[in-house]
Amino acid sequence: MSISRRAFMRAGTLGLLSLGADPLFLGRTALAARREGGGSGRTLVLLFQRGAVDGLSMVVPAGDAWYWRERERIALPRGDLLTLDDQFALHPRLGALKTLWDRKLLSAIHAVGSPAPTRSHFEAQDAMESGVPDRPSTREGWANRYLQLHDREHRDTPFRSVAFGPRLPRTLAGRAPSLVIDDLTTFGVRTARARGDTSMASAFESLYAGQDTGVVAASASEGFEAIRMLRDIDPGRLAPANGARYPGGRFGTSLRQIAQLIRAEVGLEIAFADIDGWDTHVNQGASDGALGRRLQEFGDGIGAFVTDLGPKMRDVVILTMSEFGRTVRENGNGGTDHGHGTAMFVVGDSVRGGTVAGRWPGLAPEARHEGRDLAVTSDYRDLFGEVLTSHLGSIDLTTIFPGHRAGPRLGLFG
Amino acid sequence: MKLSLGLLGLALSLNPGVASRPPEDPATAAVVTPRDSARHVLQRLAWGPRPGEIDRVASEGVDRWIAAQLAVSTVDDPNRRQVDERRVSLTIPTADLLDIYAARRRAAAKGDTARAALRAGAPDRPTDLREVLIDYASLTLDRQAMSEHQLAEVLADFWSNHFNVFLNKGQDRVLLRDHIEQAIRPHAMDRFEDLLVATATSPAMLFYLDNAHSVAARPARGARQARGINENYARELLELHTLGVDGGYSQADVIAVARVLTGWGIDPRTGRFRFTAAAHDRGAKTVLGVSFPAGGGEAEGHRLLHVLATHPSTIRHISTKLCARFVSDDPAPGCVAAATRAWQASGGEIREVLRAIVRSDAFWAEAVHSTKVKSPHEFLVSALRALDADPAHAPRLVAMLGDLGQPLFQQSAPTGWPERATDWVSSSALLARMNCALALVGGTVRGVRPTLLSTADLPDEPAALVDRLDQEILGGTMSPTTRRTIHERLLAATDPAAARQTAVGLVLGSPEFQRQ
Repeated sequence: MSISRRAFMRAGTLGLLSLGADPLFLGRTALAARREGGGSGRTLVLLFQRGAVDGLSMVVPAGDAWYWRERERIALPRGDLLTLDDQFALHPRLGALKTLWDRKLLSAIHAVGSPAPTRSHFEAQDAMESGVPDRPSTREGWANRYLQLHDREHRDTPFRSVAFGPRLPRTLAGRAPSLVIDDLTTFGVRTARARGDTSMASAFESLYAGQDTGVVAASASEGFEAIRMLRDIDPGRLAPANGARYPGGRFGTSLRQIAQLIRAEVGLEIAFADIDGWDTHVNQGASDGALGRRLQEFGDGIGAFVTDLGPKMRDVVILTMSEFGRTVRENGNGGTDHGHGTAMFVVGDSVRGGTVAGRWPGLAPEARHEGRDLAVTSDYRDLFGEVLTSHLGSIDLTTIFPGHRAGPRLGLFG
Repeated sequence: MKLSLGLLGLALSLNPGVASRPPEDPATAAVVTPRDSARHVLQRLAWGPRPGEIDRVASEGVDRWIAAQLAVSTVDDPNRRQVDERRVSLTIPTADLLDIYAARRRAAAKGDTARAALRAGAPDRPTDLREVLIDYASLTLDRQAMSEHQLAEVLADFWSNHFNVFLNKGQDRVLLRDHIEQAIRPHAMDRFEDLLVATATSPAMLFYLDNAHSVAARPARGARQARGINENYARELLELHTLGVDGGYSQADVIAVARVLTGWGIDPRTGRFRFTAAAHDRGAKTVLGVSFPAGGGEAEGHRLLHVLATHPSTIRHISTKLCARFVSDDPAPGCVAAATRAWQASGGEIREVLRAIVRSDAFWAEAVHSTKVKSPHEFLVSALRALDADPAHAPRLVAMLGDLGQPLFQQSAPTGWPERATDWVSSSALLARMNCALALVGGTVRGVRPTLLSTADLPDEPAALVDRLDQEILGGTMSPTTRRTIHERLLAATDPAAARQTAVGLVLGSPEFQRQ
């Protein structure tokens, strides 16, 4: 029985693909270079801080006495803090984000996170990325469900959804196609022969064209179409604008290339990039040190991106996330262990900037999650859902976050 | 039932040339050649066929080849061992690795630059831990490409992934080698319980999943460092290594398992397993309804592992996982049933479970042949074998596997790498494979000579060359589209050497070669 079922599924997929009847691929013209009247679409940029960022160092609850009591060695010196309001301050290395706050382009959400009680990185990442924290084994990502629901508007570009990195993140996994691009400048078929030699690419393309190979053929056709568009558009020619200076390293490169795709008007709707190095169990440091260096790269990257895009930020929102936060109390090694609630940012022209949203539960022991961690007072799905509805106009959050009963609005958009 | 048979026929008509039953079955012997069966076993029970191998296995007998692969007593191929033993990553003692690592940490603590911090130690031995680790990873690829003990190497890889340890976590940089060499490889084909005990006492695992830091919770004395148990290993032991996520355990079981295993840790001087009685929780515990009376010591951990290794959930979980690796991403219930029966009958002898899987109808079903998408790792090693390469000293391959998206021993999550096609297929992943294929045939990868390209009797005539490559590399599964495309390229080529290179590069990058 299962063989027959499998045969049916394969035959079904194959039939649809060879007839070109899969709605997700239907009607896309082979050489569609850019969207008509480009710039009409909006872009959501998802930035995942993998490894669980210490939200209490990123957005410091300077007005909470317990912060100073519990962090004798790693509390940030008061004089260094970038004050936001009478309760919160930014880490001193987040000067770029402070500028965005002052320009009312950035808001923070504190004590946000997943209801999943796990302190395992991968379980918590699955819980957050699937959008179904009580069923983290769900293979499909929440952003993919958004793409499936709204598949009609953007079918003319392979660049609708792009993940920067070596592999497709769970957030985008699912039936709607996404491109996975490690680096725009090397995306393509490379031969030892001269640059610009496209003969091998076209040979491989003929190999994959019309083959009954299901997901393999579908992914290949996405890739080849993207290669052709990139060749035509050459986003690499778009140097950072407005004097933007991206930090060195992978994260800065990903953001710079996301900005290139947005400026090239290829129809990018969801972009995804990772930044890791947040699992600071040992010697995380205060103003300087390991965590400070990561935050510097993080903030400077976002700052450069906003500068680079200039007025195009009207159509762009950045949403940052991390799987959980870290313990309120520093550990014996000058670090912090796996915790619960953390802080996230939203950035964009349409964002009601200059606020720290969410209810602050306080750091007193009786207010903590399981007596040790920052409690979660805002479910991440309420944050993500608000961004989807306000920025991308999503209409059906119950499909994107199944089983979730929406909480109060955070009021992040004007 | 009629409907599904019709659909099965449709699927077959879209996939001409797939094998079905083993040739010994008279009912279907007319339509399936021994070469089809040989190709299938070399794709699933080995790391892909080398040139000439499909013919050799077909003529010597597929069943005989399978029996010989199941009969090997160690993963190590005795014909390769002497080559292996010259590798620095195998000869360097654990204690020396620990010294290098400690020196590196001291250098880092003093704020030396990252580059300098990597180098430390005596002049007569390697001082760069990275060099040792890259050598070990490239040795692993070399064994998979060259060993005659192919099934054993596939199983060693399966268990390395099942009992995954992340190389880049602290001292696992030092301990991983022994985890693979001493815990995984000696037990890869034998009794599962022995393998489980070996991994549970493997210092690399105890460090990776934090059991080495798990100590009995004592009444608080106000000490900051009083940490108590760490559930990390206990949870993964149940969820991933044995029962499976739906295996019927509770959070209370996780905590009880963690308490049973308190004191299982690492001797910091030798890097070996050590049981520390003072750290052990001597209270009574209950796991899965089995009680562990108060006062137990190290032995109760072994009793626990026996309970887990022989639990029906474990048998079902791991049988399913083996069927997924060897047969199909969504294995047929019949395959899992055959595997669990063999497990129970043999007391968990892995080679008997494998024998049952290979004998099952599911393994030989038409629908599974040449349909399973290769992981990047399987792609790279099968390409090396197809090219008849001997990658004895090719550290660059390690980085290439990283570029393909599956850096060896660098899966940080204890789940190991995924098995499903959808986890590995994406636009950039396929492009990376095409580029990897072109690099391999281009001869630009140091230490990898694509011997196939210089084979004397490889024809130059385009149609004959395509035929030959189809037989040698794809076992006769080349599609008309692939054949036509490569043929056209060959007609346009002027230089026969470049033409061969292009043709083989296209075959390795073709959709057919991405499946096994």
